[in-house]
Amino acid sequence: MTELLLDPNIRVWVFLPIVIITFLVGIVRHYISIILSSQKKIELLQVQDSQVMIRARLLRENGKYLPRQSFAMRRYWFNNEDTGYFKVQKRAAASQNPMTDPGMMTDMLKGNVTNVLPMIVIGGWINWMFSGFLTTKVPFPLTLRFKPMLQRGVELAYLDASWVSSASWYFLNVFGLRTIYTLVLGENNAADQSKVMQEQMSGAAMAMPPDPKAAFKAEWEALEITEHRWSLANVESDLLATDSSNSL
Amino acid sequence: MSAIVKSKDNKPEPIAYSDAALRNNAAVVEYCRTSMAALSGSTAGVLGLTGLYGFAFYVFAVVILWLMFMIKAGSNWNKYYKSRQSLLTSGFFGALFTYVLFWTFIYGMVHVY
Amino acid sequence: MDSSIHRIIVLVGFISLFHSAFSAAQHRTYLRITSQEFTTLPLDIVLQAVLSLFAVMWGVLNVAGNLREIPAAAELNNTKWETQRNLPSFYIFNHRGRALACNYVPSPSKSDLDNLE
Repeated sequence: MTELLLDPNIRVWVFLPIVIITFLVGIVRHYISIILSSQKKIELLQVQDSQVMIRARLLRENGKYLPRQSFAMRRYWFNNEDTGYFKVQKRAAASQNPMTDPGMMTDMLKGNVTNVLPMIVIGGWINWMFSGFLTTKVPFPLTLRFKPMLQRGVELAYLDASWVSSASWYFLNVFGLRTIYTLVLGENNAADQSKVMQEQMSGAAMAMPPDPKAAFKAEWEALEITEHRWSLANVESDLLATDSSNSL
Repeated sequence: MSAIVKSKDNKPEPIAYSDAALRNNAAVVEYCRTSMAALSGSTAGVLGLTGLYGFAFYVFAVVILWLMFMIKAGSNWNKYYKSRQSLLTSGFFGALFTYVLFWTFIYGMVHVY
Repeated sequence: MDSSIHRIIVLVGFISLFHSAFSAAQHRTYLRITSQEFTTLPLDIVLQAVLSLFAVMWGVLNVAGNLREIPAAAELNNTKWETQRNLPSFYIFNHRGRALACNYVPSPSKSDLDNLE
């Protein structure tokens, strides 16, 4: 393995600045996404609908802990033909086409812009400005297939594939600093490229499925076919059995 | 009280785990894992390890971190972790990137320049 | 306090790791100047680096925060007798303390409601 000697100026003016730039851009992106995403208006009716859906789901899942009469009473409130919630509430079928609905469009656009665009812009800038020389040597051996990808500006046939250019050092930084952002910024930070599913957070569902009527119908059917199998039926005898076996 | 029930298949009695405590412990483990990856990457760079030795050092550091978790939890690790194997192997590849980054960084700083 | 000693351990470990990095770089430069082959670092630098790694890891582990017991019942064991009846969901506000307010309007009695209709 050849021992190349690199100019210390590269270390000070290229190596370190790329690390600092990547880190700071990530933090700036986190704060910008917080600023941009703080205007989200919720409709009262939407919240009410989503909460009712959550209630129905909870009833389906946990109904086996209720006595039969209580379960039937709750199901009646949801499903009854004349007065049940799922039957009475009429919603305008608002089909939210992602292309035409301006709210969703701007959300998608903002998400793309804040995450992908800085990476591309800065990658291009680094490629333009810091090209033509080697930046560092990765400590592990790489095959020759990686050479054209990693040594963008340097065309040397016999050079070891471990010597990389600035652009590949930048991308290595981007991927490596992702987990550090959780250390520095705490959880739920937006600097992390891997998106966290925020919709299921704490039951305040903001994005109702586009067609409430279909959702209501699906939930109505699910509740109708739910069988009530009371799991506390033998609880007294079970408790006495364990108690007696413990005391024996 | 946020409590969810998780039933174990082979035991006769299901054990209820507190959701908040699980998340808290997972966050602490994640924090320690990323800082471990960063620091052991720096150490590997200082030591000038290359190639396979570097990755072996990463595995070594993961095992050391797991041992330290066990020491901190004491003899009754059941109270804090659900399973020891998942503590060892989860998040292995996520922290690997951070390890490689710091390893390359410090190796470049110390040995190349 | 327990966590300050661990913070000091983390700090000392960091400084020691940094110092070992510096001495490794200096050793490298020395080898380059005298044009010797680089096989391995001197033992004391290796030892210092590995020991400071252990120290920092242990310190970070203790600084990171306490592990909470995961069985749901464990948290219930720490409640005190006086506070265990205090549940915010069961607060009642419709009690006679309303009469002590300065803008208190007594609610109409049954006869008033009948006369109104």
